Amino acid sequence: MTLLKKLIATLLLVPGLVLAAESTFPLDQAPDHTKDLAALQNGARLFVNYCLNCHSASSMRYNKLKDIGLTEEQIKDNLLFTSDKVGDMMTVSMAPKDAKVWFGATPPDLSVIARAKASGEGSGPDWLYTYLRTFYKDDTRPTGWNNLVFPNVGMPHVLWELQGVRAAKFEDVKDPHDHTKVVHKFAGFEQVTPGKMTALEYDKSVADLVSFMTWMAEPAQTTRKRLGVWVLLFLGVFMVITWRLNASYWKNVK
Amino acid sequence: MSNEKQVDSGRRGLLVATCAAGSVAGLATTGVLVSTFQPSERAKAAGAPVEVDISSLTPGELRTVEWRGKPVWIMKRTPEQVESLKKVDAQVADPESKRTQFSTTPEYAMNEWRSRQKDILVVVGICPHLGCSPTSKFQTGAQPSLPDDWQGGFLCPCHGSTFDLAGRVYKNKPSPDNLQVPPYMFEGDAKLVIGKDEKGEA
Amino acid sequence: MAFHEKQLPADAPIADKALNWVDARFPLSATWKAHLSEYYAPKNFNFLYVFGSLALLVLVIQIVTGIFLVMHYKPDANVAFASVEYIMRDVPWGWLVRYMHSTGASAFFVVVYIHMLRGLLYGSYRKPRELVWLFGVGIFLCLMAEAFFGYLLPWGQMSFWGAQVIVNLFGAIPFIGPDLSLWIRGDYVVSDATLNRFFAFHVIAIPLVLIGLVVAHIVALHEVGSSNPDGVEIKEKLDDKGVPLDGIPFHPYYSVHDIFVVTIFLTIFTAVVFFAPEMGGYFLEYNNFVPADPLKTPPHIAPVWYFTPFYSILRATTSEFMVWLAVGVAAYVALIILKTRLASKFKIASAVIGLALIAGMFLFDAKFWGVVLMGVSVMIMFGLPWLDTSPVKSIRYRPSWHKIVYIVFGVTFLVLGYLGVKPPTAIGTAIAQICTFIYFGFFLLMPWWSAMGTFKPVPDRVVFHPH
Repeated sequence: MTLLKKLIATLLLVPGLVLAAESTFPLDQAPDHTKDLAALQNGARLFVNYCLNCHSASSMRYNKLKDIGLTEEQIKDNLLFTSDKVGDMMTVSMAPKDAKVWFGATPPDLSVIARAKASGEGSGPDWLYTYLRTFYKDDTRPTGWNNLVFPNVGMPHVLWELQGVRAAKFEDVKDPHDHTKVVHKFAGFEQVTPGKMTALEYDKSVADLVSFMTWMAEPAQTTRKRLGVWVLLFLGVFMVITWRLNASYWKNVK
Repeated sequence: MSNEKQVDSGRRGLLVATCAAGSVAGLATTGVLVSTFQPSERAKAAGAPVEVDISSLTPGELRTVEWRGKPVWIMKRTPEQVESLKKVDAQVADPESKRTQFSTTPEYAMNEWRSRQKDILVVVGICPHLGCSPTSKFQTGAQPSLPDDWQGGFLCPCHGSTFDLAGRVYKNKPSPDNLQVPPYMFEGDAKLVIGKDEKGEA
Repeated sequence: MAFHEKQLPADAPIADKALNWVDARFPLSATWKAHLSEYYAPKNFNFLYVFGSLALLVLVIQIVTGIFLVMHYKPDANVAFASVEYIMRDVPWGWLVRYMHSTGASAFFVVVYIHMLRGLLYGSYRKPRELVWLFGVGIFLCLMAEAFFGYLLPWGQMSFWGAQVIVNLFGAIPFIGPDLSLWIRGDYVVSDATLNRFFAFHVIAIPLVLIGLVVAHIVALHEVGSSNPDGVEIKEKLDDKGVPLDGIPFHPYYSVHDIFVVTIFLTIFTAVVFFAPEMGGYFLEYNNFVPADPLKTPPHIAPVWYFTPFYSILRATTSEFMVWLAVGVAAYVALIILKTRLASKFKIASAVIGLALIAGMFLFDAKFWGVVLMGVSVMIMFGLPWLDTSPVKSIRYRPSWHKIVYIVFGVTFLVLGYLGVKPPTAIGTAIAQICTFIYFGFFLLMPWWSAMGTFKPVPDRVVFHPH
């Protein structure tokens, strides 16, 4: 038995040994506004105004926005940018080939981006939330912008007017894995020019935008969770009935 | 079965309850699966109302637009063509569009022009007989397959049904009904929306 | 034999008459009796015995949801990914059908692994049930193929690259490898051609084979009768009517019992479907929400969780490992020669095969042997009825230390699975290599260890505690 215990103990240690540290920028937790219709509508507005110029959301139908409390009229008047029919998909204005030439990579479709960016480091919304708040001025890049979560990204800081221009400070520290090497470690932002929003307002706007993208990645999620409660309640009742039915037969088996 | 001769009442109750709950589960599942057959959002969007700008429509011109995969004719009738409709009242099978077997004519088309505005005709360009699309025959007078006092209208090439300039089928023709008037409405003078009327979207 | 239809009295109920008409022409009542109301199953089944029925339920769920998905899915590389999102958003209730299918796929493997574990613990594969087991391993192979082909269909990054990697594995086979991969793919790289044929396999070819094998599996079982946790053959003690003393009719006892367990299963299943369909990226992988891009390899390609134990064995087979494997083969041949009482022709044959294998291990590269080892790790299950030489079937009557062997095997399997999910590391590979030896040792050394120790007396009647 002691051998078995040793074996089990060793095997339990395996996870710790196997997990190699991957150095990516730590992600902040995205505030969840997916149950707040006003926040989602604000997010939709930001999305259509800032993202759809380069990105498509080609699985997302404009009239699906009715699910977050907008009327067809409101959609047509304020949000219908890349099409004239409210039943159409959110396709992109820019041709993908042009985008590739201008930015180095085709801007990905954003329909399910909030599901695609999840990883061991954090959820998809966490990634998006941190990404949109860690752009910094970098004159060595073609767009003039760089990003802490996605180094050397081809995307410029489209929301710069809202956040303002920030520079990132780096300091050289010894590499913890190899003392002969030196790493640039991020040491904080510095506001160069102010934006239209305060930091708090900007964070809230980004949270709204990210919550919108989270909702857009799976519009059925609200129904799914709501319905799930009822289905489980029903199954609970069904379980009790069949349990007693089973017992009523098996009491005869000696 | 088991050693018992009779199912005791407790067990019977549970059997009933199990069957009832099971049927609820079964029906719900079947309902979900069968609902997937319903037109999807894509089908509904493709079948959405169509807006047409008719400001450039000239008198006597017929324009065809597609709505739900069907050709819809929008024709600006001349005053003479509108006048001629009375002359064929006796020759058409259902002059007042009372038939409802094939399609019901909307109330705004229950008039002598079968349209909201007497000069603009809006009908589905499909013969109610077997689905061919009739050809325009606006020239008056005798012509092959047409009566000598032809006032203008449409002739279906497949089996010879003839329709007047309000889409009404002539007597003794294969088509069982007049040309269908789809739901439509005007939004302003120059815009026609096909597929939508006061009752909402079709 | 002349046709004979039983005559019922004229005032018999119409239902009885109808049934009588059918029974004279089709074994309807006979089948009902043989397989349900007069199929006598042991009364001492425990919880592990319900997973066969659950597997059948999941098969039905997959087929039904699959049919409805195929009505909207498009097997064209340009639109496949978008068609899945179409199902999720535009088809009424499409999201629910999709989640049921994706959860069902993982549920199938959970259920089947536990079902196989039951077989392992209670010796369900022993004579006279070897054929039941063989059909079962066949079902397992088909299930893995079905899951593999199905996974390409959403055409995400993991779909594409997973298929690319696995098909390229066939390229490791000497001489015919690259041509074989080309033939499987139908193209130089996984493409629309591959997608269409995988679609055909997933939707109709393998399901037909699966259904056939499942029917054969159940028929073979019913032919000899079910085993039980005590490994006692209930047909050896019959009453005066020929009914096993320890048997109870499957219907109503086990039908009612299985319905109860089904409600428990459905509760767990729907909890996942409605509240955690992605299951932390294990049931619906995150990277699969990115459309397939042949030009961009994801940093981390791993198969879906249910393949990882076998994938680990593949990855563990490095060129350094080949030396250990060669030593292992030599040791095994020595064991056969010295510690068995087989005829000398078998001993010579094993020596020759062993030598050929060792030569091959240095002639062909480790990549090929990794594929071989991975394949053998599944195929070896076919041999179980003949590897097990224990005088008793069930773990209950085996020496207590046998339980440790099974626990070690189980833990090894889980560790291999866990390692397969993670990116490879030096320590991880070393542990996977040790586990590979344990895994194969469990099977290959079974002829010896399964007969070792002091066995407990097997009762002649089942051990049953009334509910």
